Amino acid sequence: MTCDAVRKLIPLYYYGELTPEEEDQAEAHIHECAPCARQMEAARTLAAALDRRRMEAPAALLADCRADLAAAVRGAAAEPAWRLWLQAAGATLAGFNRWRQPLGAVALIALGFFAARLIPAGSGSGVSTASLAPSEGVFVNVRSAQPDASGRVRIAYDETRRREVFGSIDKPEIQKLLLVAAREEDDPGVRVESVGLLKERAGSDEVREALMNALLHDTNPGVRLKALEGLKPLAAEPPVRGVLSRALEFDDNDAVRMQAVDLLTLRRDETMVGVLQNLVQKEDNSYVRSKCEKALKEMNASIGTF
Amino acid sequence: MQDAAGTAGARVNSEVDSLVRAAQRGDQDAFEQLVRAYDQSVLRLAMNLLRSPEDARDVYQEAFLRVYRNLHSFRFDCSFHTWLYRIVTNICLDQLRKRKVRKEEPAVVETSEGAIDRTEAFEEESAAANPERVTWNRQLGQRIDDALDELTPRERMVFELRHYQGLRLRNIGEILGTSEEAAKNCFFRATQKMRTLLGDLV
Repeated sequence: MTCDAVRKLIPLYYYGELTPEEEDQAEAHIHECAPCARQMEAARTLAAALDRRRMEAPAALLADCRADLAAAVRGAAAEPAWRLWLQAAGATLAGFNRWRQPLGAVALIALGFFAARLIPAGSGSGVSTASLAPSEGVFVNVRSAQPDASGRVRIAYDETRRREVFGSIDKPEIQKLLLVAAREEDDPGVRVESVGLLKERAGSDEVREALMNALLHDTNPGVRLKALEGLKPLAAEPPVRGVLSRALEFDDNDAVRMQAVDLLTLRRDETMVGVLQNLVQKEDNSYVRSKCEKALKEMNASIGTF
Repeated sequence: MQDAAGTAGARVNSEVDSLVRAAQRGDQDAFEQLVRAYDQSVLRLAMNLLRSPEDARDVYQEAFLRVYRNLHSFRFDCSFHTWLYRIVTNICLDQLRKRKVRKEEPAVVETSEGAIDRTEAFEEESAAANPERVTWNRQLGQRIDDALDELTPRERMVFELRHYQGLRLRNIGEILGTSEEAAKNCFFRATQKMRTLLGDLV
């Protein structure tokens, strides 16, 4: 076998994809030929380097994917209308404060129990089913469900109506809704979206305030990171720098601190020396620490506080 | 760790087949067990190929929904694993063809457990405490990513399935609807390109 022929086989040999005869021939040649042996070694080294780039899917991502799929599959299974409606009601209940949830769950079970019996039965039972099956886009929170002696039931519920508005992000009413969503919405996904949309309009005082507020107070790191992106062009302004420096000192998320240190060290700022020195001592994240050290060196400040 | 898609610890085929049959009859638990037997390797494949947790999430969702909707038409002409991987690789190839992976895609993805920095998903970097080593690893990682980007979507797929997922080329050919020989040639081209682009590392 010639060297040329063997070199064509080397990658397949390394991965064990040769036929037994080809493998014997290649092995015999490599054993005798130093340059081809080096080629074989190079294939091994390359594979080892590539191995270091192997990605594992984070467990949290897998969990989210499974939850998404379970929800989608539940939606795809043909279900009676009243169950879909109950799911919508359940989704609303799920967003409630924790102390309300047991009540909500009980109410939902009760409602499911009655709805299952009443709705397919249709009319003729003396109960107005229309009031139990609100039109689309109406979410229901049941406050009480009480049977009476005659076997009928009295249900008190609140309705929340879904509305949609369309419009340019420059419209004040759209911005107002986004600001409310960025601040108060329970679902972090909605907050991320809202802050993401608002960050394009960080020029306005109200939006800037909202972004600073989100960076300091939002419990979800994804929202805080979006807010940071929005504050990027404003990183020279003193109030923004104050907020960035607090995030750098106190945020428990590495990615947030990494972004904050990047923005804060873009320009020389001697008022930062104390914060940076402090961080060099206590920061766990090596990237943040090295950025702090670099910024301190550039300002000719000492790395530690002695 | 290997799951049903890997060679080690593979479920006995008959066990998978009976899960598939149960799922075809509408047994939701069986469907869920099937998903859980394969979904880690599907997500890892998508993550490795697309290097974006968000895109990987989309691939996962679309692939398993297609499985859910089309499982009734699966006739056991091939293994369930091959059938599933045909679906997954088709979706991933579409994605790869639609775009060359953007260099500045967001580094962070939101999950219910907080944001994940995708750079931390790489095994090497998260554990390293030494900044120089981190920097070196990042540079090496970038070089490798760039080299992988130079492959055609099909070469990238074959290389991924062989090197990272450990599938045999014969099986890869079957998944991609081609011969073992064609898969071998494609894999050879991919390794040659990698050698040329990363030659100074070896």
